[in-house]
Amino acid sequence: MVAKKKCFFGIKTDRQVDGDKISQKFMDKVIAEGGENAAIASCMQCGTCSGGCTNIDRMDISPRKLILLLQRGEWETILKSNTLWLCTSCYTCTSRCPRGVRPADVIEAVKALAIREGIQNDSTRFNQIFVELVKKRGIVFEPELMHQYGGIEAMLEQAELGVKLALRGKLSPFPAKVKDSKIFNQALEKASEK
Amino acid sequence: MTYSYYPGCSLHSSAKEFDISTRMVMQELGIELEELEDWSCCGGSIAAGVSHEVGMALAARNVVLAQQKNRDLLASCSGCYNKSAKAAKALENETERNKITPILSQMGMSVSDSNTKVRNVVDVLANDVDISSRIKKPLRGLKVACYYGCLLTRPQELTGWDSPVFPMSMDKLSEICGAEVVDFRSKTKCCGGPILVPQEKVAFELTKRLLDEAKSLGADCMVLACPLCANNLELRQPDIEKAYNVSYKLPILYITEIIGLALGIKPGKLGINKHVVSPKPVLAKLGF
Ligand code: SF4
Ligand code: SF4
Repeated sequence: MVAKKKCFFGIKTDRQVDGDKISQKFMDKVIAEGGENAAIASCMQCGTCSGGCTNIDRMDISPRKLILLLQRGEWETILKSNTLWLCTSCYTCTSRCPRGVRPADVIEAVKALAIREGIQNDSTRFNQIFVELVKKRGIVFEPELMHQYGGIEAMLEQAELGVKLALRGKLSPFPAKVKDSKIFNQALEKASEK
Repeated sequence: MTYSYYPGCSLHSSAKEFDISTRMVMQELGIELEELEDWSCCGGSIAAGVSHEVGMALAARNVVLAQQKNRDLLASCSGCYNKSAKAAKALENETERNKITPILSQMGMSVSDSNTKVRNVVDVLANDVDISSRIKKPLRGLKVACYYGCLLTRPQELTGWDSPVFPMSMDKLSEICGAEVVDFRSKTKCCGGPILVPQEKVAFELTKRLLDEAKSLGADCMVLACPLCANNLELRQPDIEKAYNVSYKLPILYITEIIGLALGIKPGKLGINKHVVSPKPVLAKLGF
């Protein structure tokens, strides 16, 4: 057994100091989903990412801690975290990280895995509907998106804006689509079945 | 120079003035745009968060369409630009390419090795052409807050932008047009665009912060290059005003619109009449 090293400052309790807790399994899973650039293992827990994060005030787990939990394999905690759905994919964290970790891409991959593992909330529902509609025609038709997500109620709420847009020629009454939407759709459906 | 022009979903709908003004300005500057035939949605900030492969394939499809024309891809929308650039980079990486290629070939498309670059309209205007000698109507006395948001400049290794946290390209363009640029500290803070629908309250808070700062700096308008930001900042501005019992009435203009005005193009020809928050105070100040 590897002897437990003490953190240099001896006080930080959630700091990965000994390496023996690193669990490769979930890091591999995230990298398999989101691409090899995620470089999760090289995170040194400096917190620079969290320091610039758009939505940190509202997150239950900071981007830094999310990376730590991922290193440790605490997958259940990550899945339950609201951080996944408050992250706006703004890439501030990724731009700031001195170690080449890309928290934004990591979170993006974790989102996809969370949806596949059955996590459900308003955000997952909206994101899934959005993607289904893109797969269907290749071009988003906003009224349809709003209708599928929020029902008639959401349509009515947005009616005033809809009228303004229509009057300015910015809202087509018909959805646009790619030429061969059937083949387009089939290819993406197949890619979704994993 | 001819680019394959990728307008994306928004520029064909809620951001029509961005589409119109991009085309007008490019034409005025002698840059040809040929709309990418049969383009599709790039998946935005959402698709890859449902399935990485679907997201990448969506964005890569447009890059490959541009490859087939042997042209660089020009996107006005920051989101389309970012995701297309990300896909172009992924196509250069073997592992990533192997995920994307089978999906595209099922759509009947083959990925070639051409070195198609993805460009953004701000980048082209700031770096490829000299606007200064073409200014016919300087925007004297107009105070603008330049807002970059997230995806235009970040991550820097993807966009090659001057700075991911305090870029100056739009500020410089606005100055060249004769406008006065305010020191907008929140210029790269996110407006919450991608979470607007499912997390409306949070997105409103983030957007409000930007409107507050621009207003307190005395800006006549905010200038930007992203239809998703404009959705929050302009189209939902009345809702934010209502939710917080405040009044902004802050015109939100696309960078191509103010450049177009400075180049002497008539406001109507730039689509400025299509805004939901009236840009009339801005036009009045400029003497239109
Ligand atoms: S991408 Fe997400 S985690 Fe990173 S700074 Fe933006 S909101 Fe925070
Ligand atoms: S900035 Fe990078 S190295 Fe520092 S805590 Fe965040 S992910 Fe880890």
